[in-house]
Amino acid sequence: MMKIALLSESPADEAALRVLVEYVLGQKFNLIAPSLRARGWPSVELVLPAILRHLHFNTNADGLVVVVDSDDSPVHMAEHEAPGYHHPYCRICRLRAVFRRTIKNLPPARGRDRVLRAVGLCVPALEAWLLCGRDTSVTEAAWIEGQASGRPPYTRRELKWKVYGTDRPGLPHETKRAVQEVTRHHGDVRRLENDFPQGFGSLARDLRSWKIPV
Amino acid sequence: MIAAVHFKNFKALRSAAVQLAPFNLFIGPNGSGKTSLIQALLRLRTLAGLPVGHGHDLPGQKPDGPQIEFHFNPPYQNVRVTLGCNSDELVCNLLVVDQPPGIAGEGEWAELRTKLQGIRAYLFDHYAMALPAKRSDGAELSSNAGNLAAVLAARRERTPADFKAFTTDFCRILPEFAGLDFRDAGDGRIELVALLTGGNEQVAAESLSQGTLYLLATLTLAHAPEPPTVVCLEEADRGVHPRMLREVRDALYRLSYPKDAGMERAPVQVITTTHSPYLLDLFKDHPEEIVLASKHGNAATFMRLSERTDLVDLMKEAHLGDLWYSGILGGIPGE
Repeated sequence: MMKIALLSESPADEAALRVLVEYVLGQKFNLIAPSLRARGWPSVELVLPAILRHLHFNTNADGLVVVVDSDDSPVHMAEHEAPGYHHPYCRICRLRAVFRRTIKNLPPARGRDRVLRAVGLCVPALEAWLLCGRDTSVTEAAWIEGQASGRPPYTRRELKWKVYGTDRPGLPHETKRAVQEVTRHHGDVRRLENDFPQGFGSLARDLRSWKIPV
Repeated sequence: MIAAVHFKNFKALRSAAVQLAPFNLFIGPNGSGKTSLIQALLRLRTLAGLPVGHGHDLPGQKPDGPQIEFHFNPPYQNVRVTLGCNSDELVCNLLVVDQPPGIAGEGEWAELRTKLQGIRAYLFDHYAMALPAKRSDGAELSSNAGNLAAVLAARRERTPADFKAFTTDFCRILPEFAGLDFRDAGDGRIELVALLTGGNEQVAAESLSQGTLYLLATLTLAHAPEPPTVVCLEEADRGVHPRMLREVRDALYRLSYPKDAGMERAPVQVITTTHSPYLLDLFKDHPEEIVLASKHGNAATFMRLSERTDLVDLMKEAHLGDLWYSGILGGIPGE
């Protein structure tokens, strides 16, 4: 079974991501303990090199999954995937750059060359993914269009209300609702990949590129 | 309940005002008026319990020393209360109430003063909390939470459902514990013990960590069946691991926004303070709940963080806590 580390902002995010990663991989995995936390952007970017070093040398992690909220930053686009392209404000591009810079200086350790990378971007926040399939107005395309026109289709606060019934959910309620919403997909993430082709799609493509040990 | 407080020459608050929301987190350097605000609220509670002079009865006796003026939210928006202080000793002994004339005004004030009696301030003391408490002292949590054991024991007896919800929350946050119990400490006193998970081992309150005791006290407030009308809590983050600050915030939110937690009771106005950038980070979606206390020379002022027009742009590349620490927001000590 794969050994995977998740870098997330809260236990609620981690619980939801754990389910989604299992769905994409099509199998369960062992979560590297202790759980890794970052305080959101930009802490994720700052702490990522240290986390990669730690996982590489001190654990037997096969891969690291990092998912961040886009907030108001540019959404990762298909053209960002062109060889050598780097968008200075795209959080996926920036996190991938940190992975590249850090990993290239690390010697092989614990029987592997490097810790595998999977990066996702919730546009604009995890609650958008949680609403996927339940609220058809919440999509990456709608957000991108709203950014372009200067009229965002919804706010983070509105998304929270839709998912939790409040924008101040307690942690147990937030965790319960997050897991309820992601398990609605019953292992099939095609709708998520369709509605969030870059933020979730990138994560899914990264995960599928991993060579899964039998 | 309390809409705004205006200070005139009260300690460092020479000319300062603050609008209060249901939940208020005060940040700022030492000596910037955070505790003075809490002291003013406690004085208001005390004086509101005594016979008072009314503004329309005392035209010539308006206080001329330091003053603290309180405004209230509906339905008490027509009542204004002023505390008058002695400028030499800063003792506030004069309470002037301006209320609408007639029986309706009297009624408004009578109702409001009852609510003002429910103002409570807490600065938890883990040494006091660790000691056995008088069993008869369990009516409500004292300001240092020194009667924690008695309050919880009484709650278990009188409102077992609330006690169960409280212990469930406590054991969820600190899974090393499976429950709480009490044992007789003699002389009519009672001692709190925590049950460790996975065995029968008990840990006496005196052996619990500071942070565990503070968390117990915060949760005791958050799950109180009849909480105070206003809770002032100094240093809400004290002794708590940064990863658990979310739980502290949630517990306090439970007081201010009971509906969001599925409860029907009246909201409690919360006024709390912190010096933790990590706790501050947790309010990125609600900067309107943060009040920044700043010192300019010997004078202190308050500003609600959401008044910063550039805040949204600043938060794009830095956490609130880092923005505060860096000095960009103000509210830092002089160096």
